[in-house]
Amino acid sequence: MPTLNTAVSVAASALTAERTRIEVAVSNLANAESTKGLDGKPFRRRDVVLTADPVQSFDNALGRASATGVKVSAIVEDTSPARRKYDPSHPDADGEGYVAMPNINPAEEMVDMVGASRAYQANLTAINLIRDLVSRALELGKV
Amino acid sequence: MPINATSDAQTMSALRRTLSLAAAKQVVSSSNLANLSTPGYKAQEVDFDEALDQQMGSGLSVTDSRHLGGPAGSGSGIATRDAEDNGARRDGNTVQVDRELLNMTRAAGEFARAQTALAAKFRLVRYAINETR
Repeated sequence: MPTLNTAVSVAASALTAERTRIEVAVSNLANAESTKGLDGKPFRRRDVVLTADPVQSFDNALGRASATGVKVSAIVEDTSPARRKYDPSHPDADGEGYVAMPNINPAEEMVDMVGASRAYQANLTAINLIRDLVSRALELGKV
Repeated sequence: MPINATSDAQTMSALRRTLSLAAAKQVVSSSNLANLSTPGYKAQEVDFDEALDQQMGSGLSVTDSRHLGGPAGSGSGIATRDAEDNGARRDGNTVQVDRELLNMTRAAGEFARAQTALAAKFRLVRYAINETR
């Protein structure tokens, strides 16, 4: 059953992509107060870029794209300016007593995370439905 | 005309077409679900008429009721068209989770139905092979 296998791999690609989305949202949340990132500057919010990814199969070789998966084509940094907080006692404060905080809004990250987890659930449901189909098909060979 | 109920080619190939169409619907719906969050993705749906033509047109032709048709359309692609769009999302994506899950459940039902009938057909054939033992 090549087509059903394709369906499973398509849904699996979505599981991977949505998991990456959740990972990125979680690392954004975790670093909402990190005034020093890996490069020494305030942590910058990251975002995933999702792109449709046609599954390479025999059908495609014949010029007919049928199944379309999804992939994370890039993880980009949000270029919006850093939040500025007045805290003169902070070691990272500038001359005027302002600290550059990450450009992260926890509410935004939570919304993104809920969206990703709903999408993950939808794809898991899809995989379960396809699995039912496959097992039904296997029952054809039974007495 | 001799009645050949056990290896009824037409019924069998009709059931096979139902099976592959249901599988095709699953592939299309799971593609849509996978791209639930992809900006600009247009949801696809199986174009039933087109798919039917494909299924009927390809494969081996059956010129005798005792022939089994070839694997009609099983290797070819699925005819799809853009699903209708209510323009609710601002990112240009037209996937609706409930619609896709409903389509998948419906296709699973179709598949199970055809599978049950096909299994009954095979059971008849086996019954004949085993000399009704």
